[in-house]
Order: sequence, then C-alpha cells, then structure tokens
Amino acid sequence: MYSDLLHALPDVFSLANFAAVVIGVISGIVVGAMPGLSATMAISVLVPFTFGLEPLVALGLMAGIYNGAMYGGAIPAVLLRIPGTPAAVATTFDGYPMAQKGEGGFALQVAVVSSAFGGIASAFALMLLAPPLSKVTLLFGPSEVFWVAIFGLASIIFLLGGNPVKGLISACFGVFVSVVGSDPIYGNDRFTFGQLEMLDGINIVILLVGLYALPPVIDLLETPLKTSGVQSSKLGTEPIWKALPRMKTYWTTWLRGSFIGIWIGILPGAGGSMAAFMSYNEARRTSKTPETWGEGEPEGVAAAEVANNADTASALIPALTLGIPGTAVAAVMLGGLLVHGLQPGPMLFRDNPDIVFGFMWQFLFGAILLIILGGSLATNSFARLLNLPRPLLGSVIIVLMLIGVYSIHGRMFDVYLMLGFGAVGWVMDRLKFPLPPVVLGLILGGFAEENLRLALRIGRGDPMVLFQNTTSLILVALTVAVIVGPSLKKRFIDKKKVDDDAAG
Amino acid sequence: MPASKTPRLARPETLTALGIILVAAGFLIPTFEQRAISALLPATMLIGLIVLSVLLLVSDQRKAAAGEDAQPMTKSPKRVIGAFGLIVAYALATDFIGFYVSTAVTIPLVAWIFGYRNPLGLLIATLIVTGTIWAIFDFGMSQDFPAGRLWER
Repeated sequence: MYSDLLHALPDVFSLANFAAVVIGVISGIVVGAMPGLSATMAISVLVPFTFGLEPLVALGLMAGIYNGAMYGGAIPAVLLRIPGTPAAVATTFDGYPMAQKGEGGFALQVAVVSSAFGGIASAFALMLLAPPLSKVTLLFGPSEVFWVAIFGLASIIFLLGGNPVKGLISACFGVFVSVVGSDPIYGNDRFTFGQLEMLDGINIVILLVGLYALPPVIDLLETPLKTSGVQSSKLGTEPIWKALPRMKTYWTTWLRGSFIGIWIGILPGAGGSMAAFMSYNEARRTSKTPETWGEGEPEGVAAAEVANNADTASALIPALTLGIPGTAVAAVMLGGLLVHGLQPGPMLFRDNPDIVFGFMWQFLFGAILLIILGGSLATNSFARLLNLPRPLLGSVIIVLMLIGVYSIHGRMFDVYLMLGFGAVGWVMDRLKFPLPPVVLGLILGGFAEENLRLALRIGRGDPMVLFQNTTSLILVALTVAVIVGPSLKKRFIDKKKVDDDAAG
Repeated sequence: MPASKTPRLARPETLTALGIILVAAGFLIPTFEQRAISALLPATMLIGLIVLSVLLLVSDQRKAAAGEDAQPMTKSPKRVIGAFGLIVAYALATDFIGFYVSTAVTIPLVAWIFGYRNPLGLLIATLIVTGTIWAIFDFGMSQDFPAGRLWER
C-alpha cells in the first residue's frame, strides 16, 4: 500500500517539479501577505495557466501556494493587525501586541516555524490515512458512489455553518451548472441555447475564476486599504537559528495544534480559521500563565499558526479519496486535478499513483521549505509587500484572470461567462451564500448523475437498488446524521449550555 | 414595531430570491422538451431552487416585518459599479480592439481611477506587466490573444 508512496519520491526531486514547489511557496507567501487575497483566489487564478504543464508541476505549484499562503497571512496579522487570510485572525491576538513591543520579527519566526510544523504533520497524516481509505473506496459500486456524492454535498452544506437554505441554494446552483451541455448518455443538448461553446459543458476553471477571483478584485478596488508602511528595521529580526532555542517550550502546543488542525481539515466544511481558534483557545486554557495571552504571548502565535497550517494537506484526505473537499481551497484544488484529467475519488490512487503520491510528497516538502523561504531573510522582504499599491495589484489581477480564462479554449465567450459567474459570485459573497457548495455541486453533480443513472440501469429502473447493500445504507445514515446533527446539537446541547449558564 | 428603513421589496435577499425564482422558472421551460431521464436532475435542481428561494423570501420578509433592517450590499456602490464596469469594458475592448492595446490602457486606467496616481509607477508597472505577458505567452508559448474584431474586418 505504501510502496507506491516511495515509488513516487524520485519524480518529486526532478528539477521542474521541485522548482514548482519552491515558486509555489514564495508566491503563496506573497499572496497570503496581501490582505484581501487568499490561497483560494491564487489557486483559482493559477489553474488555467497550468494547462500546458506536467500534472506534478501544476500540483507542486498548488501545494506550495497553499502552504505559503497559510503562513503569509500571518505577516499583516502580526505587523498591521489585519489578517492576510481568514485563517490568520487568531494570529493577530498575540502577534500584533508582540510587534508593538518591538518583537514583530520573533513573532513572524514563531509563525513560520509553527506553520512548517503544522504543514509537516498534516502531510504525514495525508500520507498515512489516504492510501488505506482509498483501498476501501475502490470497492464502491455506482449506488455507493452516488451516495458518497450526496454525502459530500450534504456535509459541505450543513457542517459549514451559516444558513442551510443558502447552502442548499448554492449546491443546487452548482449541480445545475454541471448538467449544462450534452447529456452524458443520450447526447441531447441541455441548456446550451444553440451555443456550440456550451456543448462540452461549463469548464470548472471558468466557474472557479469567476466565483473566487473576481469578488476579491472588486473588494480590492472598492475599499483601498491604506497601510502605514512597514519598515524592516522595526521588525527586530534576528537569524532564525538564534530564535529557535526560544521556541523549545512550544512542543506541546505544536502537537496539540497539529492534531486539532488535522482533525478539522478532515471534517468537510470546517476550515483553517476554526482550527486556529480552537487551537488558540485550548493552548490558552492549558497555559500556566493565561493572563499574558492577548498581550504578546509568542505561544499564542504558535498555537494559531500550527493549526491553520495543519489543516492544509489533511483537507485533501476526503478530497482525494472520496472526491469530497474539506475546505474551499481543497475544492478549488479538486478543480485543478480535473483540469489535468485526474478525477478525484477512489480510482485516482489506482490509475495515477505516481501523481497522487508525488502530490503528497510535494505537500511535505512545501512545508519544510517554508522554514527556509519564510525564514529570517525572507521575512523582511515579504513584510515590504504590504506597501504595494492595491489598485495597481487589482488591475494586474484583472489582466491575469482574462488571460487565464481566454487561454483555456482561446475564445472570448469563456471570458464573458466568467464575468457572469463573477457577478453571481459577488452577490453570493455579499449575501453570505457559501461558495464551496457551488464548486462541489459542479464537481459532484455530473458524477452523481452518471452513477445514479448507471445504478438505475443495473436495477432495471427500480430506485430500491440505491438502498440494497450495507455500504449504501451506512452512507445514507451518515448523510441523515450530517443533515439532522447540527439542528439536534443546537436544540439539545446548546440549549443545555444556555440553561446551565442561566442557572450558574 | 420599529419600521425598517429599506422598502420591503427592495431588500437585497428578497430581490435575490425573486431573481432566482424568475430565472429558475425560465430554465424549467426547456426541461419539458427533454427526455424524462435527461431532465430528472436539472428539473429537480430548478424546482429545488424555486422552493428554497421561496423559503428565503419568506424568511427575509419576516425579518422585515419584525423591523430588522437589511444590511446594504456595499458601502460604496459607485466604486463597485465602476470596478465591474471597467472589467466588462476591458473584456469588450479586448474582444473588439485587441488584447495588448486594451491591457496597456486598462492597467494604468484602473489603478489611476481607484487611487494610485504615481505616473512613473504606473508607466513602469504597465511596461513590466505587458512586456512579461508578451515574452511569456506570445514569444515563449506562441499563445495568440485577440487581435480585435474591428481590425479583422
């Protein structure tokens, strides 16, 4: 089972594949350091540019960006109290007070070492857990695959929190977009309205760029952020090897935060920000000096950063094995895999072991590279990124979006379609409709339809074929649990808490 | 009961729900001409969208009746409309006038309008971005960008 993992290692060390991870990590830190830009957006913009690349080069870039951006978010969080990414909110609690005390450099070093630790732990979890899970999922037939798709959609809608009606609307929209084009079995047109460009369906990249890249650009231009200018001389940075001994007491926090981050990453719907908050709260609760937290406690930065990086690779465990992404970035990465003809799910491990296991190694090396690239020298340079003019950045991203989408098929029709999705994405974003269910709906919609129709054919049209084996019934039960669970929790556990608080 | 400032039918969620209902109903019409098995999933999703939007509409109207004010979608609508308008104009200009001319104009124009007004910085950024795109895509990868429909005639 794990021999494929070792077999994939030499490919990862080829110059192009390794360079891709290095470039990815640097780009990720840059993107993460820019408030308003996120790993999700960066990968969405990047995906169309990877068409002509080897799959491992493309995936290496994505793995690097994901790892780098999670740390990059800490730079403005520490220096300006503005989280570069949503996952870096908890980093501001102690990072910014440290910067005010003249310890900004040390805060960033704690952040980079903790991020690397979390990333390495997460990559190991992916390597250890994904292969055996993929063996189990290989046994799935059409009805089980259909229920896995339904379970995935239900998980991301109901576990994401927020309004389930909005989550369901997002998912229905995504599934509807997936059926545009030729019918997979009969070949008749569905909702193409005579447009030849629509016959092959809507390319996922067009949707990804529209939903995830256009709204942040509008935000960048809507509220230009004025940064007061960060000077590297004020960071108080010393070489990272001198700072490492000061971090030797953080082992427990790193281990606990890694465990929390990995677990949150595996759960569909939860994300890096939740992991960082949970890890921060747990570390503070168990600290001998909780009163110093919030006033510049370096362990607080360690707790938040280790957890938000520990959910990166682990979010890909359900994504790669079942086709269910744990986070929005993982959903976008699934899109990246599809672009290279790699269908996430059980078959991926059987048909493309070198690529999928190579991708896992790239996550591990990306996390290790964080220490070198995000270490003391780079930290000063990356801090200066905050002084880049945001309107100029916005205009450059607009150009990159157009190039990326146009390059898919070499036609402007796709660009107009992307703008349409962008407008829809902006409205959804403002009205708090979750975006991941749209992407997952598009990925799983066609997949679910094909397997549903196949299962019905096997069962000669009898819908009971979907409930005739134990695995299907377990998946149905899990789906019901995911749908009913949050409301039961709200009704009983949260109510009990309120009653206890009132009584106390 | 406190009165809501936004007219009840002009609340963003209400307008969105009504929009989804109208569009989904419009898309539902072609499903009647499709084979039953082909129309199964799309029709289910469209009906689902209509039902869910009705729920959203009812919930938003209940909030309005309770006097809860709707959050505005943006604090600076002019900037949002301007940004989106410029992006659409850039796409149209690329299509009709050509990629390089449109890009060379759009980068400084968007940055200038939205607050970055350093002529030298704009010139350098435009030259670097346009030049890099040409070197990587046109020269290195032989990728053709739109030359402009106006000139094709």
